[in-house]
Amino acid sequence: MAGNNAKDLFSVVGKAVPIKDAREKVTGSLKYGVDLSASGMVYGKILRSPHAHARITRIDSSRAEALPGVLGVVTYKDAPDLVWEVCWHNYRGHILDDRARFVGDEVAAVAAVDEDIANQAVKLIEVDYEILPGVFDPEEAMKPDAPRVRVEGNAREPYIVNWGDVDKGIKESDIVAEASMNFASQHQAPIGRNACLAEWTGERVTMWTSTQTPSEARSGIAMAFGIPINKVRVIGLPSGCSFGLWWINNFHMVTVLLAKKIRRPVKIELSQEESFAAVKRRHLERSRGRIGCRKDGTIAAIDINHIIDNGAYGFKDDVGFFSSELWGGRCPNGHFSVQGVSTNLVTAGCMRGVGDVTLGAFMERLLDMASIKLEIDPLEFRLKNHIRTGDILHNIYDEFGHDYQTPPEWEDKFPPMFHLTSTALHECLIKGAEVFGWKKRWKGWGKPCAVEGPKRRAVGMATGTHCCGVAPEGNTSAIIRIHSDGSATLCCSMGRHGQGSETTQAQIAAETLGIPLDQIEVEAGDTEVCPWSHGSIASTTAYRTGLMSKAAGMDARRQILEIAARHYVKGEPAQLDIKDSVIYRKDDPSQNISLEELMTELLPDAVTPPVIIGRPDHAMPPADFLGRQFSAHFVEVEVDIETGQIKLLDYVATQDSGTALNPKVLENQIIGGAIVGSGFALVEGLVFDEKTGKIMNPNFLDYKVLRAPDFPVRSETVFCESYDPVGPYGAKGAGEAPIAAPIPAISQAVYNAIGIWLDIPMTPEKVLKGLGKI
Amino acid sequence: MIKLKLMVNDNRHELEIEPHEILSDVLQKKLGLTGVRISCGKGECGACTILLDGKPVPACMMLAMQAEGKEILTIEGLGNYDNLHPIQEAFVEEHGFQCGFCTPGVILSTKNLLETNPNSSPSEIAMSLSGHICRCGAYPKIIKSVQKAAEKLEKNNGGK
Repeated sequence: MAGNNAKDLFSVVGKAVPIKDAREKVTGSLKYGVDLSASGMVYGKILRSPHAHARITRIDSSRAEALPGVLGVVTYKDAPDLVWEVCWHNYRGHILDDRARFVGDEVAAVAAVDEDIANQAVKLIEVDYEILPGVFDPEEAMKPDAPRVRVEGNAREPYIVNWGDVDKGIKESDIVAEASMNFASQHQAPIGRNACLAEWTGERVTMWTSTQTPSEARSGIAMAFGIPINKVRVIGLPSGCSFGLWWINNFHMVTVLLAKKIRRPVKIELSQEESFAAVKRRHLERSRGRIGCRKDGTIAAIDINHIIDNGAYGFKDDVGFFSSELWGGRCPNGHFSVQGVSTNLVTAGCMRGVGDVTLGAFMERLLDMASIKLEIDPLEFRLKNHIRTGDILHNIYDEFGHDYQTPPEWEDKFPPMFHLTSTALHECLIKGAEVFGWKKRWKGWGKPCAVEGPKRRAVGMATGTHCCGVAPEGNTSAIIRIHSDGSATLCCSMGRHGQGSETTQAQIAAETLGIPLDQIEVEAGDTEVCPWSHGSIASTTAYRTGLMSKAAGMDARRQILEIAARHYVKGEPAQLDIKDSVIYRKDDPSQNISLEELMTELLPDAVTPPVIIGRPDHAMPPADFLGRQFSAHFVEVEVDIETGQIKLLDYVATQDSGTALNPKVLENQIIGGAIVGSGFALVEGLVFDEKTGKIMNPNFLDYKVLRAPDFPVRSETVFCESYDPVGPYGAKGAGEAPIAAPIPAISQAVYNAIGIWLDIPMTPEKVLKGLGKI
Repeated sequence: MIKLKLMVNDNRHELEIEPHEILSDVLQKKLGLTGVRISCGKGECGACTILLDGKPVPACMMLAMQAEGKEILTIEGLGNYDNLHPIQEAFVEEHGFQCGFCTPGVILSTKNLLETNPNSSPSEIAMSLSGHICRCGAYPKIIKSVQKAAEKLEKNNGGK
């Protein structure tokens, strides 16, 4: 079900058109990174560390180099002595240095004429290691005598959002509840592999790979090799679902290094095990906190301390804790602290819904603890306390530096306070409750709806939120070129990992220009063509890239109307409009010219046809209002107290993403988020060997995800569309709020079924332990 | 090296391969059929599913030699870009995917399902696709696509 407004307001925006590459996808002809090859291409293979923490004392590749068919080997001796870093500290380190910091860390790489020879050669590289003690638990790693994972030290400074006076707020509260919660490390668990193909021509390098962030990949390579950005060209290709895994990773750098040394195009394709165990994952996270409320059910103070493990090369000191805004907007006293800690585990970084999936779930647990003490329905409690349009965003310093105050140098550019542009969360809660039948089905705290033998059925509900891109991370942009036949190409750097962005961006551009959707093609991957963009991360695309696609369209439109008004259609540009690629006078449509004709005719004052390239005249506008996406999910579960299994029986997911740019794309994003979030709630988690930190389940045999029969066939999505005053045609981000709501909704339902709160994932083992049965 | 004759999408192929070569690798890397998507290599994800004498099998779990004398259908043999099979049309119209990596395998399993049980209920469809991982979580729209494909095939008297 979709309560849809946008389709009535616009001609292209809001229509559930098939995605642009749909036919390529159903015929298997879409080219992902793994499908590429180049003339003269050879194959690379990476030697990985068998030790969690070690110093290389000797490395000898002569036997590998002597193997027929081997073209070259790179070790740390070949790597530039430079540290490279990717956005939001998702990676910080050398391409190769003389240390291994996790089992699977890159040590060397071989290029050979075929994959078999490369595999053999890797085994011939001799390495002597001095084994160093490792640390695999974030709290252990914070101790002063813990093994030092990084030169910078293990524990980063806590990252704090603070307002009011929490201690005073707690003291003045009528009820106070405390809780703690642990999260396993979820993996992106990619369907599909990735590869990197790199080729140097003279001083320039071109790199092809599946990535969410072509522009960041370009900047990263420039930083890793100490070369100017214009020497690097990245061609980003579609990936299988990525969830943050495929941004720019160190295996890309190793490929580029190998290609530089042997001066041949080199391709490195990662195996499924490497993708699982040697690239990136969600952090291990631990939350502790308390909440204080007044008798009337309003929140007086929230106090949360959260720890994340960064693994070996992650360097984050924050996670997107936008839940502090959702529940802090009306709360006078707040303290949210996040601390990043290095461990000898594989690198951790942003995965879909970073922070709001974990810290957000803990926040919701505190809300539940408070509701129980207040003896109030969780729906009523949320309706009373959630942020409203215009409220202050307490996490905003996250976007503008570590200080709540606007830095002095920015004072004239940015206002001191930031406020929420729009929220339809209230409608999400009310509509979702109505569709689900919450009032009838919720029986009270700790009370199942039904008991049948060992089976306990109960309901739960919760909310989720996330940002819509993050402001100061560069000037996300777009350009539109109008061709001589009136067709257009929109160039905006994005990922194509299943979220349909090339289609929704084309819808925005078509709406703006007044030309049919099939007249627009989108180039999203080539950094030589597309302006810089943050990429498809942090729900940037619909909101910020969308604003730029719209601005580029407006600029092209302005140029078209000016030329038309000057030469072909009598009147001022403001009197003209474009529809179906025809420019006409609004008060006399008989005066018109087609876009094709306008682009072909020689201009009387130039004796050439026009050149029209639309571009934004400034980057994302500084605004004192920012958008957020919201979701409210309702679920019924069945817990078997003999087997410990939790089954999902019914699911309603509501969402406020502003205007639904393409309703079917949005439905897929919502339910996809619900399913991957439910997977984390129930089964997903990497298993690390206690002594080595090695990942024991780097494959789909041992790392379980939800499949078609595991999610209720009776699921439903409901849109509650706010019209965001900043977002393009009222649209906001979409993909990350829906992965944040499932964990708290399901864990609340499990509490109602069996009376216990569990850590994540809530495996049968944890259920049975919680019930005291094992 | 051994000689191998394969029948793929009604085309005959004569190849020289190593005896240990996996069917999915031969189809994808030697014959260039990118629709045989290789992911887990362990028969767990279903992305490389093909129809072998009409039955869905993960091509990563067979030696290429074992497919000699059998008829192989990959997604490339079902319909092409300009002339989609009704099942492919249904997936396009209903958005039965997001990233598209699992899609060829899912569509081939759907073909087999609709031949054996054209009136499958949503739960039966879900169960029949349990060998496929759609990590994007497009399952509800996949199920809708299968239902729509069933309608299309019925209208076409059983389709191709």
